[in-house]
Parts: sequence; structure tokens; C-alpha cells
Amino acid sequence: MPTFTHGEVSIEVDEDGFMQEPEGWNEVVAHALASTEGVDDLTDEHWKVVNYLREYYLQFGVAPMIRKLCKETGFNLKRIYELFPSGPAKGACKVAGLPKPTGCV
Amino acid sequence: MASGNTQSPSARAVVEGFKNGLSRQTVLSLGACVHCGMCNDSCHYYLATGDPQMTPAAKTDKVRKLYKRHVDWLGRVAPAWVGGATLRTDEDLQALQDVVYGSCTMCRRCTLSCPFGVDTALIMRTARGLLTAQGFAPEGVKVVSKDQWEIGNQMGVSKEDYLETLDWLQDELRGDVGDPEAMIPIDKEGAHVLFLVNPREIKYAPMSLLAAAKIFYAAGEDWTMPSVGWDNTNFGLFSGDNKLGAHMGKLAYDQARKLGIGKVVISECGHGFRATKWEAPNWAKEDLPFPMESFLETMVEYVNTGRLTLDPTANPRPVTYHDPCNLARSAGITEEPRFLLKRSCLDFREMTPNRQENFCCTGGGGAMSMSEYAQRRLQVARVKADQIRATGAESVATACHNCIDGLSDLIKHYELKVPVRNVCEYVADALVLPAPAIARDALIPTGLRGKRVLVIDDDPDTVVYLTTLFEDQGLDTVSAHNAAEGMTAARTAQPDLITLDISMPGRSGADVFAKLRSDEVLARIPVVIVTGAIDFRELMYRRNVPPPDGYVAKPIDPELLLMTLRKVLEVRHREGVGSGEGAAV
Repeated sequence: MPTFTHGEVSIEVDEDGFMQEPEGWNEVVAHALASTEGVDDLTDEHWKVVNYLREYYLQFGVAPMIRKLCKETGFNLKRIYELFPSGPAKGACKVAGLPKPTGCV
Repeated sequence: MASGNTQSPSARAVVEGFKNGLSRQTVLSLGACVHCGMCNDSCHYYLATGDPQMTPAAKTDKVRKLYKRHVDWLGRVAPAWVGGATLRTDEDLQALQDVVYGSCTMCRRCTLSCPFGVDTALIMRTARGLLTAQGFAPEGVKVVSKDQWEIGNQMGVSKEDYLETLDWLQDELRGDVGDPEAMIPIDKEGAHVLFLVNPREIKYAPMSLLAAAKIFYAAGEDWTMPSVGWDNTNFGLFSGDNKLGAHMGKLAYDQARKLGIGKVVISECGHGFRATKWEAPNWAKEDLPFPMESFLETMVEYVNTGRLTLDPTANPRPVTYHDPCNLARSAGITEEPRFLLKRSCLDFREMTPNRQENFCCTGGGGAMSMSEYAQRRLQVARVKADQIRATGAESVATACHNCIDGLSDLIKHYELKVPVRNVCEYVADALVLPAPAIARDALIPTGLRGKRVLVIDDDPDTVVYLTTLFEDQGLDTVSAHNAAEGMTAARTAQPDLITLDISMPGRSGADVFAKLRSDEVLARIPVVIVTGAIDFRELMYRRNVPPPDGYVAKPIDPELLLMTLRKVLEVRHREGVGSGEGAAV
């Protein structure tokens, strides 16, 4: 299992760079993961997306539908992709410390 | 032989399944390979690594040794002589899994370069099926297969979430097209089109579905989406599990039959199209009463019949197209996406090689769901990255959701910085939406409304372009593609005006013109020459017949052409019938 190291952060990730142990996530880890996603600075808007994904995942054990993410954060699709260029599944979920979503993504 | 006693139960089951379940095509592909090496350079795994173990022949040999050992007559007598060997342990099965799942995307590029047509993907799928049945498959494939079996779609989307998402997208559609009546109909009985999608479009990336809804709206299609059986993807194709393949097919087919739809249209998903249209009817042993097509084919039909008008200036930056393996190599769909992109984008650039020869996105065969092989996938993606970089394009179009994710991953890895989108998204960008009915009618000049124009041109694209242009102006159109057809149509359709191309095969347009002008009845129909052969202009006016009523050069300036038509028809209207003096422009 690869280890991802960035500054003080050292975490176990899968081959796609997603966290293996989501419980080890914190804000410092989020910043480290964001650097791999072309997101240099996590703004309040980023945090709104990340926090919602995290809450939903801890409650239901899966990533939410894009429809729910847009509804709960108030961002439209375009804005989500501007915030996380790799999109909600591979970009935002990774920064929020979720495991890789299943399926053809 | 002695192997039986020391085999693990799983290894024994795989070997027995192999011996007893080989199809004729698989046997041919296993038996025919002579290790000539012609396939080496076709495989991106080999090209990127230079590792002889990554050649298609070497990889299929891992399965072929079973054939040599257990099926081939010589191998049964003297296995070592022909390279035969069996599987004994679970470690052997894991090693085989790493080859058939982890080092081949089943893209079939090597089959094209094989003198015997050895179908590597078929060999891989056969082995995958036997391994999967024993639980030897990547975790991601297992999870997705379970969701398809239990929930009916590969991302485990509940029916409630699915319907709520469509409702939301319907709101977005209404906002985008400015029509509060625009619909994404669900389970509409007797609809002409039943649209099936990839769950990725529902769960994470609905831009392509929104684009499709816009296109259906603009074309005035009678379409619907099903409330169940909506997932066009099929992991049975990747895992070799024909039962799952049949199950997914049946979910869609049953709903299509129940709704009594006209045809099934499959959204831009390569394997989804191949599985739903070509493979699953066989797995499910179904004889289906409705046709099935790719959304690419549907869009081409809309353009050809004038139901869509596209403005390529909407996409001015250079775009290239990536041919998905399941569409180009396995289903022969190569020209439709090019037809659409050339009409939706100003600067279309081919990738080299392309069409059937294109390299895999590196995410095929379900590879995107297999994290354990992601690093190798990205390593061998260098071939694809080089290919994209060489085009100089600023964005990549493709017609497969799996390719989008495969390409996006490698683009990030190799820092190419180009976005990847579905073909229908470029088409939706370029859509010229019909103006609301009343306003549109009011805009049509009275001189043109209801008049009939006969378009004679040997270039089908020009015919479509002109008829669409004219119909948007409220004109009625008839078209002919050569001189003979043109003469017949001039007699039967009684047009108010004819647009004529002068350089056509067979009898030239100039002769057609002279003939029209000499005919007692047809002479009174005004003729506007539309041609690229500007040098012929003089010849036309030198003939011993009244000159053309108008003359417009190609490339056509639509404003100029319409103004010419309007002048000619209005002059005619004022003067009554029969003047040869028109508005030559």
C-alpha cells in the first residue's frame, strides 16, 4: 500500500491516491491532498463542499449524489468543477478523505 | 494427470471450467497464435514498458498454456513439449488475475495486427469469467457487479435518488433553453426514443445528460427515460460473467418492451453500447422487437434531416477526438462523431493514429474500477499522452464515459492540461435553439413564407445546409442530388425557385440550367446559381437563354443568399409570372 507524504502529513493511500483510513482525516490532511488536485488554497467554498461530503460519508458510508451536493452547498455544477477541476468524484471526494468512489470513475 | 491431487479447489474449478466451457472462437484464438510478434507494437503496455512479458502473445500465453495442457491433443500427451501447464494453487490464480485483469484493457488493438485475427480480449474475458466465478477479481469489479445484481445499476443509485436527479436536471434544462414546458419525461408509454445512460451521468457528472436533453428538446423528439433498467453499462462484459451480462440486458429490454417504445438510444458509453446492443441480447437469449442505436447516430440523423442547426463558432478552439475501442474497433462507429464535431467546432484535429487504429484510453475493460492496477495503468498511459500532446488540441472530445475518466487521469498525471468532454456536450454548445414560436413566425419575411425551393446540389452536406437554412426562414424545400433528379423534381414538385450547383457529375449544372430555360413550362421558374466554380459564371451568361436570376458563390454567405432569394421572389411576386430579369448579385 503506498504512503502519501506531504510536509508533516504521512498517510496510507490506494493506488489512485485516495485515503485508506478515512478516520485519520483532518484539515491538515485535506490541505495535503488538495495539493495533488491542483487546488493550492482551500477557500471557504472548498470547505463547504468538503465538509458536506465528509458529513454525508460518515452518516451513510457512501459519497452523495451530485444533486445533493449542489442542493446542500448551493453551488451549481459549473462552480463545483471550478472548485475541484477533477470533479466531485475524483477531486472533491479525495480531498474530503473519502475512499475512491466505486464504478467506472 | 497427477496434478489433480495437489490442486486447490479453486484452481481445479477454473481448470475444469476451462476444459468444458470453451467457445469455438476462443479455441481458434488460443490455437492460432504462432508467436510471430506482429502484435507487439500494437499494445500500449508493451510500447510503454518494452517488457516482453507485456506483449499480447506473452500475456495470452498465460491462458494458452492451459489450452495446450488440457485441450490440445499433443499437449495432453507431452505437455512440456508444447508449453502446456496447469494451475495448481490460489497463488497461481492470483498471478493469472494480475495478467488478465491488470495488464490488458481488452481494447482489441492487437487483433487488427494479427494475421490470424487472434482475439486477445476474448481470451482475457474467458479467463476473467473463470477466475471471477472463484472470487478472483479486483475488489472494485466485485463491488460494482454486486450493485448491478442487487440494485440494478453500477453505482448503487436508489430509484428515489435517480428520479430526484432527473427532476433537478429538468429544472436546469428549462433554465438553459428558456422554456418552462421543457421536459425530461419518465416512463412515457409509446415514446419514439427510450434513452439509457451511464450511472456516472446520474451520480457525479450529469453535464452530458443535460446536453442530451437539450438536443432532444431542440430536435423536438418524443423521448423518455425509464424509471428502472436505465443503466446502459454492463460489468458482465468485463468480468466474463454472462449471467450478470444477461441480467443487465434484461432489465433494460423488459422496460423497453413494457413501454412499447420505438427504439432504444444508448448514451455515449463505449462498452455500454457494445454490451446493450450486441452482446447482452445473446447472453439473455432475447430476440428484441425494437432497434437500438448510439446517441451519436441519433444526433447525425437530426442534423441530416434538418432537425438540429449547429453553429461551430460556439467552439472556436482546437478540438481532437479520441475513438473509444468499443465504438471504433468493436462496433464500427467512427464517422458519426467526426461528422458532429466538424459541424460543432471550428478547428477539428485528428489524433494519429485514429479510428480503428487508435490507442486505448488506458481505462478500458473496467480498469477504472481497479485501483490495485492504477499505477501500471498510468505508467503505460505515456503512449496515449504523447498522442494527445501531438495534436496541439486544447480539448479532447470522446464518446465514452469510461474514456473520459481514463483520459482525465492520464492528462492530470502527464500534466497536459486539456479538458475532456462528451461529443454531445460540444454539439449542445453549438445548438441554435429555435426561437419561441410566435416571435419566430413574425421574423419571417412575408416574401419567403410558404414558398417552395428546389435545392439541386451533388454535395449532401450543402443540401442539408441549404434546406435547413431555408426551412428556418419558413420556406418549404425539396432537394435533388444530381442533374437527372433535379429535372424530375423541377417538374413534379413545382417549386417557386431553384438553387442550382453548376459543377456536378454526369450532365453538368450548366446543361440543366439551359434545359430548364428552354422548357416551355419550367422556364418561368427563377433559378439562383450557387457554386464554387466561379469561373463558369461567364459561360452561364453567354448561353443563348435568359440569364440566371441570381448568382451566389461558395463558400456560401447565408445572409447574401437569403437576400438574393428574397429579392428574386419578391420581384416575381410584383411582376407576376415570367420575368427573366432578376436580381443577379
